[in-house]
Amino acid sequence: MLLIACAPPAAPAPAAPAEEKAPAEEMSWWAKAAEPYKGVTIKGISESTPPSKYMQQVLAPAFEKETGIKVEFEVTSWDQMYDKEIKDMESGTGIYDFVYIEQDIIYAYLARDFLVDLTNFMDEHPELVYADLDLDDFTSFIDYFKDDQGHIYGLPFEAFLKVYLYRKDLFGDPEVQAAFKEKYGWDLRPATNFDEYAQIAEFFTEWGQEKGLELWGTTVQAGSHPAAFYEMAETIWPSWGVYNWGINMETWKATTANGGSLDSDKAKAALGFWVGMLKYAPPEATSSTWDEVAATFAAGRAAQGWVYGENAAWIATDETRSKVVGNVGVALPPTAPGVMEEAEAGKGYIGYYDGGALGIPHSSKNKEAAWLFLQWVSRKDFQGDFAAAAARIVRKSTFDDPKVKELDPKVDGYFTLMKEKGYLFAGAPPFPFHAQIREVILPYVLKAISGEMTPEDALDAAAQDVDAELIQLGYGQ
Amino acid sequence: MRSNRTAWGLLAPTLLVLGFAGLLPFFYVVYVGFFDWNVFSKTGDLVWAGANNYRRLVFDTEFLAALKRGIVFTLWTVTLEMVLGMALAQLLMREFKGKSFFRAVHALPLTVAPIAVGATWRLMTIPGLGPLPYYLRRIGIDYNIGRYAGQAFATTVLMDVWHWTPFVTLTLLAGLTALPREPFEQAMVDGANRWQILRHLTLPMLRPVILTALFLRIMDALRIVDEVWMLTGGGPGTATRYVGIHVWRVVFPKTDYGYGSAMSVLLLYFTIVLCWLLLTAITQARRETD
Repeated sequence: MLLIACAPPAAPAPAAPAEEKAPAEEMSWWAKAAEPYKGVTIKGISESTPPSKYMQQVLAPAFEKETGIKVEFEVTSWDQMYDKEIKDMESGTGIYDFVYIEQDIIYAYLARDFLVDLTNFMDEHPELVYADLDLDDFTSFIDYFKDDQGHIYGLPFEAFLKVYLYRKDLFGDPEVQAAFKEKYGWDLRPATNFDEYAQIAEFFTEWGQEKGLELWGTTVQAGSHPAAFYEMAETIWPSWGVYNWGINMETWKATTANGGSLDSDKAKAALGFWVGMLKYAPPEATSSTWDEVAATFAAGRAAQGWVYGENAAWIATDETRSKVVGNVGVALPPTAPGVMEEAEAGKGYIGYYDGGALGIPHSSKNKEAAWLFLQWVSRKDFQGDFAAAAARIVRKSTFDDPKVKELDPKVDGYFTLMKEKGYLFAGAPPFPFHAQIREVILPYVLKAISGEMTPEDALDAAAQDVDAELIQLGYGQ
Repeated sequence: MRSNRTAWGLLAPTLLVLGFAGLLPFFYVVYVGFFDWNVFSKTGDLVWAGANNYRRLVFDTEFLAALKRGIVFTLWTVTLEMVLGMALAQLLMREFKGKSFFRAVHALPLTVAPIAVGATWRLMTIPGLGPLPYYLRRIGIDYNIGRYAGQAFATTVLMDVWHWTPFVTLTLLAGLTALPREPFEQAMVDGANRWQILRHLTLPMLRPVILTALFLRIMDALRIVDEVWMLTGGGPGTATRYVGIHVWRVVFPKTDYGYGSAMSVLLLYFTIVLCWLLLTAITQARRETD
């Protein structure tokens, strides 16, 4: 059972893109535009996620058939992807013609001038701009891929929220409800704050033990991996009111003494809460990254948890990989007092708006062919199938696609939540030193998880080290 | 004179390859170690730092802790591998039924890539999925290397011993096979027991081979990355973040090339010194015994 659930996400069902429905003249534009590049091979790299696999297995072959441009689409682990693409762009070897740009790393890429300015590129090659590209139709998520002047460096292909998933079958079970009410004195429902979350986690862990079930109260993404840092920095801290990793972006300092908030009481309480949830999480939690957390929830081993939205659709609908089909509830994550109000007012955010785009490195030797592919995967008429297969939406018009509307109730309104409440979430802060500071904080988060340090000591030390590292990197002298 | 020239001419391609593949990268690492260089800093420039990176290292508690962990790991793995390897090599010197099969099976781990070894052990140890936690739980042991530091450390040692003991066995076996038979036969005629033969004949005569295996294993164990990375990711916490993993995280995800280079150079120096000290101690002990 768990073997199936822990398997890497299988490729989405290869639903054919709607190319056969497209008008003949539209198809001929692709063939005509690609004529000078026919026979060329473009190579790209992306993370092994459902959206990337859909592009690799469905959209890329269709592109090859239509244009005669061969696509070698490498899909690999998150760490490998960064390692490979950064080395390629750094050394200018030109192995990759298009690369995955995660929203959080683009600021580092821009600082290093790794990427082709697509706005300029479109001006220089108007004959290669698809008439229905319609940049205005992209959701505001495309803004994360622009520089100060509004020039675009990547076309988004995936965007999703890290949401709160819960088991509707368990939450709706009258026996469970009665037992819960008796113990805690309030009606069981999805948690809206952290006290509620902790009580629900405790209840279901004990319930699982009493009933002899492989069931725990929560997921925790706490493997010895950067994923642990990301759950803290992008999901837990913001929902406690600690934004931008606790770094003051005016003073470039993390310590409260210097205007930051990484060692603030709120940040410490948040880390303490999250680490405390480990006792209600399944044993694999301390080995789990994002993929394993999704697999744990899909295997029915957790009653609630924070799960990346790209997994929501398959967990809720794919019976070959999920044991909780039809029982997945989707809601906003719990927040500390005042945080929701701050997010509503645009002064904060309650969680992570994650996603990525495809961009073209300067070192690419086939920029024109790569640009055609970028537009191909962004085609409006492909987006319904793409969203249905991989639960990602990057265009406004996709929300109204019949396939998305049909799927939405099956994923408990995830797409509606994304459309209506997406503004409460935010991407990563615009740090060119993203990976560098992550590597400073990560060991302390891991030490708090393992109990090597208390959350308080860990964050006191982390904040000091971040201040020192930022000076070393040339910020906040 | 002519023969010298011919010899150098024949050696030239090899020296050229060695220079490019071995010396050039080494000197480049030494050079970078004297600079502050993080490509994602505000300027991304290479800034002369003199010995500052080395000074930082002396006070870097994370690096020193990782180095200490690496040394403890090395002590455990190399000791176990040498003892087990010697025992198995002695065993394989005898004739017994199924010896060829045992030797082939024993050597199998050597054919597996380190990254695959790490992945396999990870699958075996994942709670809720792997056979090890399952069977250990049945006998009352809560085994979770993502949660318990001691278990994680022991598992990395066990994995390394499983992977590399065959190397020691086969190396020592080759050495044992090459030893002359006469001294052993004479010792047996003189009534020496097994322990006396091992102590006074086998070990001294096998010394060069033992030292070769020992030094190779020390060097490999000190710089281990991939297997442990796959198995534990350096955790839980930083419990298995050995020095190789620490250097990797500083050089690649953190892109702190200058500091990472200084770490690498210091690690190399440390390894050389450790091997030299060991060699000196063994040689000294040998002289005193003689």
